[in-house]
Amino acid sequence: MYDTLLFLHLIAAFLLAVTVVMYSAVALGAATTGRALFVADRCWDVGGLGTIILGVWLVLNLDQYDITDGWIIGAIVLWFLATGLGQTVQRRTAAGETAAVATLHLLRTLTVLGLLVLMVWKPGA
Amino acid sequence: MSLLAAIRPDDWNLALFVHLLGAMVLVGSLVLVVTQIASDNLRLGFRTLLIAVIPSWIVMRVGAQWIASKEHVDDIDPTPAWVDIGYSTSEGSFLLLLIATACAGIAARRARGGGLRTATLVLVAISLIAYAVAIWAMSTKPT
Repeated sequence: MYDTLLFLHLIAAFLLAVTVVMYSAVALGAATTGRALFVADRCWDVGGLGTIILGVWLVLNLDQYDITDGWIIGAIVLWFLATGLGQTVQRRTAAGETAAVATLHLLRTLTVLGLLVLMVWKPGA
Repeated sequence: MSLLAAIRPDDWNLALFVHLLGAMVLVGSLVLVVTQIASDNLRLGFRTLLIAVIPSWIVMRVGAQWIASKEHVDDIDPTPAWVDIGYSTSEGSFLLLLIATACAGIAARRARGGGLRTATLVLVAISLIAYAVAIWAMSTKPT
């Protein structure tokens, strides 16, 4: 059970990375297509839901972690922050506000990097 | 093995972070390549292969070797299946990615897709499937 949950949780995390990389290309000025942004946004939606649902399921499945552990609460806070930033990036990209998108995407990228750091180091675990 | 992974020593963390970061950028840039090549944006597809896919593969592979040396998995006889799967998918896919880069480069230079565009898409798709298998092997660690 743990292995399957971890595999699916990792796949969801990779989907978030797909979005971050694809929007980074946009932020760097690459002339991407609408299809690329559509794929990036769907990866964000599925990856976002997958990481939180499977992540919480993993915590409940393992005795050594608790949902009230500091690093898990930190990860959930960062997840909400990343989700909010992601939704704003999607909305502003659709509205053509490209200048604001680059800054918001940078913040989202840093937030996702922070999540990865928490998942690897698990401070306090 | 999975519980061991959950309580790994702290000095493995940086190597794991480098490996994961490289792998995530690699997969993300490969999906970008697929969407661009499929949309006939051959130039961006080629550039992504050259400046994102190949460098991130190197970061992923260096991270993999780094953490393998810390875990001493290469010293185990026989080598665990998940380690063999990791090495074979990463090294096998590198050859495919080099060929895909050459195909995309020639197609972008000629400014028309044709067979080279299809070849690039197929090679990148095979690599992505291989990485899904590698992620499965790394997370479930089959013996």
